[in-house]
This record gives sequence, structure tokens and C-alpha cells, in this order.
Amino acid sequence: MTRCRYWEKRIPEAVYGDLGPETREKLERHLAVCKSCAELYGEMAALVRKMDARPAPDRPAEFWESYWDRLEWRMAHEAERPLGVRARRRRGAFRIPRWAYGAAGAFVFLALGIFIGRSLLRPREDFSIASRQTSSVTAPGEQHGAEAGSAAAPLAAQASRYLKRSRTLLLAVINADPRDGDFSSMSLPLQKKTSNELLREATVLKKGLGSSDRRLERLVSDLEMILLQIANLKSDSGTSDVEIIKAGIESKDILFKINLSEVRRSGTKSGAGQAPRSNVKTAAEA
Amino acid sequence: MSLKDEARLADRLIAGEPSAFRELVETYKRKVYGLAFEMTRNHADAEDISQVSFMKVHRSVGMIQPGRGLSTWLYRIVYNTALDLIRKRRSQPREALPSNAPEQPFFDPPDPGAGPEKAADDACLRRRIDEALSKVSERERTVFILRHYHDLKVREIAESLGVSLGAVKSYLFRSMRRLQKELADFEPCLDKGDRE
Repeated sequence: MTRCRYWEKRIPEAVYGDLGPETREKLERHLAVCKSCAELYGEMAALVRKMDARPAPDRPAEFWESYWDRLEWRMAHEAERPLGVRARRRRGAFRIPRWAYGAAGAFVFLALGIFIGRSLLRPREDFSIASRQTSSVTAPGEQHGAEAGSAAAPLAAQASRYLKRSRTLLLAVINADPRDGDFSSMSLPLQKKTSNELLREATVLKKGLGSSDRRLERLVSDLEMILLQIANLKSDSGTSDVEIIKAGIESKDILFKINLSEVRRSGTKSGAGQAPRSNVKTAAEA
Repeated sequence: MSLKDEARLADRLIAGEPSAFRELVETYKRKVYGLAFEMTRNHADAEDISQVSFMKVHRSVGMIQPGRGLSTWLYRIVYNTALDLIRKRRSQPREALPSNAPEQPFFDPPDPGAGPEKAADDACLRRRIDEALSKVSERERTVFILRHYHDLKVREIAESLGVSLGAVKSYLFRSMRRLQKELADFEPCLDKGDRE
């Protein structure tokens, strides 16, 4: 079988008479004993005879007569322009140079970087600055400044109102005298109602603040704890409950922090050309 | 053209003799055109390839090696030029190019000595062979054409195409097997009664 595979590849050469005498003799010996190779030889020889019926592709005589003239004309025509010039012209006229692709790629990356920088990073800073500025500038109960027209303005106003109401409530709790045994001075139902309202406001406020003003957010969180305690007070609660709330307010310096927040706002306001307004006095009064 | 004649022509080309190039063109134009046509199956492309090939020869006469065959060098140029064109054709949309549909390879003048029936039989067989050839792969067909119609030896074909001797033997064997099968599957040409 291996011999057959070797010899069958030589059969085309044998058919065309390309084999040397020694190889041809060996092949003939193989064909004498191998029927399939002998058949293949016969088929290929017949094919070669058959293929002779088809002449090589040709054209009419006049085509060949003028062939040289056409070739000579073309050679003269193309020799008018040096090859290098022609190649450069083609490239210049129809092809975009490679460096242009590189430059375009670099430009795209640059534009993408600027876009990412502006759209993802800067607005956060702006929001943070705006909310800080607005929360600092706007004092409780006051109208917003000119810049309060921004998107953060309602949030700052809300924070200011919230702090003001919380301070009033806390002052009421602190000023209540438990020794009287009379909680009517605290108007407990009203205070509880106010506490619940403020708690709801605190939730909204914290969401709005996010991480833009950590200090205010912590203050609101501290206030929430106190407000929750006030909201849970009952009419039969003992003086100890009120004392605990008072202690909480004092230990966390809630009123001080509220006043500090207002001082910060006043400071920013005076920086903006408005008269400073001290609220420390209010805290001392409290 | 014998090897000695080829060598002499090569020497004249290298020496820059003006008539040598024309002699080369006149000697090989039919073979060059024939190979280009077999590869592209298109007369316009075949003429273009043959002209470009001769122009390449003219430009690179200095690269002719006296010891090596002129015809194999020329065939190599034709083969590579045709391949370039075929690749270009494949990479470009068909609409942008002139028709590359297969064309009849023959200028088929009627044989005044043969009768009409014989002429019809010959034409029929030629068509079938041509169809069979178109079904063989490009490289196998080229090897067969160079061996059968251009009478190049296996070694010369290997030199012309820039492939190994074993590869040429394999291509030749495969092309002949394929042609054998294709022609065996054909219906026989119509007999006299059918033609009438």
C-alpha cells in the first residue's frame, strides 16, 4: 500500500515522460504487479490525450499583431511619470495618511478624558460647594441669597428651618422644670407632634444632604436621637426620662453645634457683604 | 525555445540590446497571456497581466541571473502579478470592477478540413474540459497548465511558483485526479441524432 502511495504520485510524471530511465523501469515493474496503479496510469494517460483536444487559450491573429504596439504605447505612457511620483500622488489623493489615524485616536481619547472629568467629577464638587455655601450663607428664618436660586437652595432652607425648630424644641425641654411635677409647661402633646414632624424632616434632609455636608449630617443624626426620645415621652413619664433627654442634649452639645452652624452661616454671609449676625447670644440665653 | 537560446537571449537583455526585449515579448507573449488567462479566466485581465509582467521584466532586466532559466523567471513574474490581481479582485466589491465572469478561452476558428459534426464534437469536448479546469483549485490548475500546455518540467514549475518539488508533484497528481473525475461525471456529447 505504501509502495502504491509512492508510485501513484509519480504516475503523472511518467505519463508526461519526465521520469528517468531507472525510475521508469521500477515503475513499470510495479505496474506489472499492481492492478490499481496500472488502472490509474491508464486513466491518467487517457486524460492527457483528452486534454490535448483543448488547445491553449488564444486570440485572433490581429490581436497578436498589434500586441507589441499596445505594450510599447503603455510602456511609453507610464514612463512619462516616474513610479515614485505616481505612487505618492495616488497616496496623497486617495488615501488617508497613517498618522491621521493616530492623531484621530489621540483626539478621541483626549475628548473622552475631558468628558469623563467634567461629567463625573466636577458636578460632585460643584454640588458639594454649592450645598455648603448655601447652607452656610442662609441663616434660619432668613430669605436666601442671590445664589440660593440654585438647586441646593431649597435643601439649605429646609436645613435651616429644621435646625431652628429643633433648637426651639430643645430649649423648651431644657427649660422645663421637672421639680414642679407638671409637664404642662412643656405642652407635651405639641412637643411630641413637633418631634415627629422633625423626625420626618430629618429623614428627608439626610437623604438630600448625602455626603456633601458631613458635619450637618452628623448634627441631624444626633438630633434624631433626641427627637425620638422626646416623641416617645408619655404623660406619665417620670422626671428621670426628661433628665436623660437633657443629659443627652448636653453631652452631645447639640445646642452648641446648632449655634456653631448658624455662626458659620453668618460668617459666610458677612463675607458676602451682609451684616454679621451672632447667634451665640441665643445659645447663651438658652 | 531551447535552454541555450534562452541563455543567449538573457545575455542580450543584460547587455541592453534593444531588439532583445522585443524578441522576448514576441517569443513568450502567447504563453504569458495563456497562463494569465488560465488564472483569471478573463481576457481583459489576461492582457493587463501580460503587459504588466513584460513591463516588470523590462524594469528589472538587471536582476536576470545568467545561469537561471529565463522562462521560469518570467513565469514567476506572471504568476505573482496574476495573484496580486486576483487578491485585489477579492478584496474589492464586484460592482466596482468590470465584469470578471469566465470567458471563452478560445479564439475558435472553424477548421476548414473538418466537417461540421467533427467541429461540433471538438467544441463540445473543449467546453467540458474548460468547465472541468474551472473546478480545480487555482494552484493545482496552474501547475497542470504549466505542465500540460507550457511543457514545463516539474522542477521548472517548482522554480516558477516558488514551491517545493514535492508540492508540485502533489498538486499535479491532485489536479489530474480531479480533472479525471470531473470529465468522467460529464454527460457524453450529443450524438449525431441528438444534434439533428
